[in-house]
Amino acid sequence: MATTTAPRSTTGTASSATARWKGIAAVGVLAVALVVAPLVSSPYINYQLSSIAVFAVAILGLNIVMGYTGQVSLGQSAFLGLGAYIAAYGILHGWPGPLTLLLCAVVPAVVGMLVALAAARLRGLALAMITLALPIVGVPLARRFDEFTGGSQGQVVSWLRAPESIGLANDQWRYYVVVLIAVVAFVLARNLVRGRIGRSFAIVKENEAVALSMGVSPYRTKVLAFTIASLLGGVSGFMYLAIVQYTSPETLVFATSINLVAAMVIGGSASIVGTVLGAVYYVLVPVLAGQVNSSRTALISGAVLLAVLFLLPAGLVSLPRRLARLRSSRGRPPQPPAHPTTSDEAAQPASAPPAATTDQHS
Amino acid sequence: MTKTRNAARASGVVATVSIAALLVAGCTRDSSAGGPGADDSASPGITDDSISIGISSPLSGATAGPGSCTIAGLDSYIEAKNAAGGFEFGDGKTRQVDFTYLDDVYDPAKAVSNFRQLLNDNMFAYVGALGTPTNAAVMPIAEEEEVPQVLLTTGARTFSSDQDAHPWTTGFVPTYATEGRAFGELLANANQPLTVATLAQNDDFGQSYLDGLNEAIEGSQVKIVASATYEPTDTTLDAQVTELAASKADVLMSAVSVTPLQVGVLTKAQSLGWLPRIFLPSNTSTPGTILQPGGAAAYPAVYTPSFSKNPNSPAFANDEDVKAYNDAFQKYGSKIATTYTPHCAWSYAEGAVLDQAFQGMKEPTREAFMTSLKSISGFQAPLLLDGITVDTTTKDDAAISTVQLVQYDGQAAFKPVSAY
Repeated sequence: MATTTAPRSTTGTASSATARWKGIAAVGVLAVALVVAPLVSSPYINYQLSSIAVFAVAILGLNIVMGYTGQVSLGQSAFLGLGAYIAAYGILHGWPGPLTLLLCAVVPAVVGMLVALAAARLRGLALAMITLALPIVGVPLARRFDEFTGGSQGQVVSWLRAPESIGLANDQWRYYVVVLIAVVAFVLARNLVRGRIGRSFAIVKENEAVALSMGVSPYRTKVLAFTIASLLGGVSGFMYLAIVQYTSPETLVFATSINLVAAMVIGGSASIVGTVLGAVYYVLVPVLAGQVNSSRTALISGAVLLAVLFLLPAGLVSLPRRLARLRSSRGRPPQPPAHPTTSDEAAQPASAPPAATTDQHS
Repeated sequence: MTKTRNAARASGVVATVSIAALLVAGCTRDSSAGGPGADDSASPGITDDSISIGISSPLSGATAGPGSCTIAGLDSYIEAKNAAGGFEFGDGKTRQVDFTYLDDVYDPAKAVSNFRQLLNDNMFAYVGALGTPTNAAVMPIAEEEEVPQVLLTTGARTFSSDQDAHPWTTGFVPTYATEGRAFGELLANANQPLTVATLAQNDDFGQSYLDGLNEAIEGSQVKIVASATYEPTDTTLDAQVTELAASKADVLMSAVSVTPLQVGVLTKAQSLGWLPRIFLPSNTSTPGTILQPGGAAAYPAVYTPSFSKNPNSPAFANDEDVKAYNDAFQKYGSKIATTYTPHCAWSYAEGAVLDQAFQGMKEPTREAFMTSLKSISGFQAPLLLDGITVDTTTKDDAAISTVQLVQYDGQAAFKPVSAY
């Protein structure tokens, strides 16, 4: 998860060696924290941490198609729900866990690819409409095929109990399972977006004509991005069933999709760390709002959303940079502030185009 | 220089790891969650002078209205009783009830999260939550942790039909099948050939109504001549109503759970010149939001099941219970729910049932609470209609298992029904 801080170059200079040590240290500390956390926390905290892992994977998929490739998807909850239903069906019919997980990845990926093969020819609002249709069609389907889905009462699936020999409680065991899956998904996704495919995502997002001229097919790239997003959505559905132990048509309602999109934007579009922050936001803000006033959770969550978007347009991931800039601009007021639009730009060293120095600080 | 810094960093990592290892070795998780002041035998969440009760219902989103009411009524009962000195328990002690409520937006994952949070904060029992999927998600955890999940405000049969299999869970309000059966009995007792058209939601909510109706009319002169179903996501039911109208049935059972769709059914049927007697579920028969906008006064009769008094109705203005409810609601509940739905009255009655259970509780444990709760019978809770009593001793039905049919009076209230 924190592997983004790991260095890319392996040249033998002193500074890169330092950076590498820093990266290894950060990964080590994070890994230890992830391993130790469930052992010292209450079942409630473990459930929240596991939830963050579940929704982090769903948001990761969304980030690949929206943040990295620049295509609108409002259908992620449909894939999450599909994954959860496949997992429930598999477990209730006694399929082995790894096989079920594989199917939870493959089936949504195939469905996502089929939808994308048609939908990726469109762009903008038309594409948004197609993806919007997925959860809207999915909910009545889930209610109607009640021999597979349990109808509107849903299905309780009691599984994934900790093996006796390990000596862990169920919540700890489930935490380790979902966090392991999440870490694998994040490492794979990080390598993907930093490699050749990631560069083709970026160029398609930037300008499709340029992509074509460079020999990158925008159509195929978009289909690929959608397929990966659906795959991750399905995997997060498996993880959802692992911790919630229940699935119903409410799992795939459209509101979940919108909340996932909001969480992705708040965390930081096109950023791996931002994805994790988005999941933390998705899970914790309703809880914190409930602590303040249970009758006003929607209002408080909305206020937090607006506040973050006004103060940190590039998402929570830009907070450290924003603070650093505030500090430096207070020291030297004449220096023009940088233009914070996306974290892609923001990831570059702060080069401030004079044209963009509008009223960011007013 | 770099080397020494690296060495320092490396030792930092080693130090962190060893601290973590010590933590793992030293901190075993405290699994007994007994609250301070509780003696060893007491369950979590109960002390000599307090007991904590939790609930998670939708307070925002589409079901916020009924959801808020399931909390507001219960809160009114509890706070009024707390202010009057507290609850008497069967072990001779008087305790104050700490009532904690959380919002789950009708989302099962959030309901589970809330339930875990409440458990973490030492909740003794989980009472009165609204929603079928949310409660279904919580049920296995309640069983695993052996925490009472009781008096739920949902008519789904899952929560009450097999209490031996789910010993920690009970429903409060009558099941949907009970409502359908009450209507079927009215028709069957009319002793004349009647034709019925049914419109039901295409899931187990609608199916429960149909099951209840079918059970009751079996062997009678009542015949179902037309049936249609719909999806909750449909935007209009005009097509279904037109199809049913062609049957010219004497009676329409409209088991529709969505407010605007139910209004649409009432307006469409009369615009087609079809004026059957109509049966509406208790969820969607509020005069102000459904019957008046739908022009229900045009029909010969509109029936709905009821088991509680409407505290806003002038007919009950002098009722002692209604007065007590209105005072308490004004003072406490109105902060939580702004508009009235019957759930406000139901959850107030639920508070009284909880009170009964406390009075019979001989020991401060969850087991004793469940035993006491499941041995209430013939209890006339406040706000329940005369003749409707709470009976928790059955193993296969909700705490309230009878309903009375009432008939719309053409304005803003209902009157009792004697016969078809």
